[in-house]
Amino acid sequence: MTLLELLEGPLWIASASIFVAFAAFRLIVILFTGRREAEARPAGSPFLGALRTILGHFLPWRRLLGNGKAWFVTIAGYSFHIGLFVLLLFAAPHVEFIREKIVNLPWDPIPRWGFILSAQFAFAGLITLWLRRFVDPVVRLISRPDDHVAAGLTFIVMLTGCMALGEQSAFLRGLHLGLVELWLIYFPFSSLMHTFTWPFSRGFTGAMAGRRGTRA
Amino acid sequence: MATNKGHSAVRLLWSLLIPAFFLMAMPALTGVGGLRAQESGAAQADPGPPNTLGKRSDAEIWHDLRLGAGGIANPPTGSPEAGSVINSEGWEWAKLRNPEKSPIVHYGAWGLLAILGLLVLFYLIRGPVGHGEDSGRRILRFRLSQRIVHWSVAFVFILMGLTGLSILFGRPFILPLIGKEAHSILLTAAMQAHNLFGPIFALFLLGLFVHFLRGNFPSLVDIKWLLKGGGFFGGHAPAGRYNLGEKAWFWTAVIAGGALSVTGFIMLFPDDLATRNTIHLSELIHAIAALVMIGFSLGHIYLGTIGTRGTLKGMVDGYVDENWARAHHDRWLEEELEKAESGDQARETAEEGA
Ligand code: HEM
Repeated sequence: MTLLELLEGPLWIASASIFVAFAAFRLIVILFTGRREAEARPAGSPFLGALRTILGHFLPWRRLLGNGKAWFVTIAGYSFHIGLFVLLLFAAPHVEFIREKIVNLPWDPIPRWGFILSAQFAFAGLITLWLRRFVDPVVRLISRPDDHVAAGLTFIVMLTGCMALGEQSAFLRGLHLGLVELWLIYFPFSSLMHTFTWPFSRGFTGAMAGRRGTRA
Repeated sequence: MATNKGHSAVRLLWSLLIPAFFLMAMPALTGVGGLRAQESGAAQADPGPPNTLGKRSDAEIWHDLRLGAGGIANPPTGSPEAGSVINSEGWEWAKLRNPEKSPIVHYGAWGLLAILGLLVLFYLIRGPVGHGEDSGRRILRFRLSQRIVHWSVAFVFILMGLTGLSILFGRPFILPLIGKEAHSILLTAAMQAHNLFGPIFALFLLGLFVHFLRGNFPSLVDIKWLLKGGGFFGGHAPAGRYNLGEKAWFWTAVIAGGALSVTGFIMLFPDDLATRNTIHLSELIHAIAALVMIGFSLGHIYLGTIGTRGTLKGMVDGYVDENWARAHHDRWLEEELEKAESGDQARETAEEGA
């Protein structure tokens, strides 16, 4: 068995299984481990508070609308995430891989220029946001090593993917796939889990605030 | 040697094949010999072998082709180069870009090595330039947005530089070290990354231009700074927000980076944006601008890191020590302190840095 076959076969299955099992485990723990009931009388609706926060946090906080930093984070954040999801789910090589290994996606892949453009948006967003962690004193203080590993791994996965765009080399394809597998294994144990947990954390914060009659 | 022999054999083969091809294809492609061949064929009872060259000499036909004799189908009508079969300028370009003999590769490699050597030498002789003791008082030098833009450009520039230099120097220098197979992998990877990150570099560079333009215009104090040797060999050299060396770097980065971006786009979209001559010219300008910018960046990186104590802090935290500013940018410090004395600047400064 060649290394590429190993990466496409057993190692793919192993890493995907670790990803699914542990991500599901964490979500179940988050959802089903109860919290002690708040005893104070509610001053507002937790449900509305949760809803408002889940949706409201898609936009910068109104009080920060005049603030360049808030706009930078919003634009770079959308640029990175939308770019990443488009290229992940709609780029031809990914659609082909997902169809072969996971599920028969019902949509057609986007043209190559769309793939490249979405990658460029994703890279521009990721690079600026990651660098900010080093040069913004406040964000530097709240950044943990995990944040850097998560950003770094994501970057290197994207970079090797971009290097394999020529689709001429089994080595580059294997390198990209191997790093994707490493990323999948790291995912459930890291801040990358925010991919799934963001509605819960926003919802929880919002519900708590809603209950107190304030806004998150 | 083996490659050279191989090259000359290939060149010989081509030099025989290309004229042979044109001679064979001439009647079909051109009106030049073809029409005449038809005319003479119709006039004679026994057609015999067609007179492919008509009454014109080889030299005349080649001359016409080189100047783009009309009626030729390839490249197709409508394309910027319709009607031109031979591109003579291509030979000059090929000579300049021949990986083994190119003066760009040759002088480029020596130039970069020389700059590195000089920096090492300077470091060994002069060591890092300091500013005495720290004062303990800090002053804001770069806003957060300037820092993010600066490092984004630097990050992508290094990526573009490494991949670009692999493309430029790969064949003569890397291939002999790692062999053909690994080299081909390295190059396809480098080229794809280089093509994808190019437009990102152009975008970030625009951000750099906007964020650093203020303070980078020439002023009289630059002459004094120059006369004092920039303070690199001892003594104090006065400077405003940026000194002459930094201004030179800013404008080099903007002009060379701009040229790299424009010529890069031309090469990314050759069919839509250019003729072959424009592409050749773009490639040359691209390589030269890259070497100039990389060469200058080595000096900039040296001075921004180990070359001058306390400088890097300004681009990371935003703040520099007042004594650093007094040593390297005294005029700027005076202005800032005056502003701070006159009131709100200090408060603004503290807020912006956060
Ligand atoms: C790893 C690479 C780099 C390092 C370590 C570095 C470091 C620094 C530092 C410390 C400063 C502050 C100087 C001061 O306070 O006066 C600075 C300024 C600056 N850097 Fe860089 N830099 C790097 C790459 C680049 C690149 C690639 C560019 C442009 C393409 C660039 C453009 C600038 C500009 C425009 C300034 C402002 C000063 C001026 O106008 O010349 N830097 N850099």
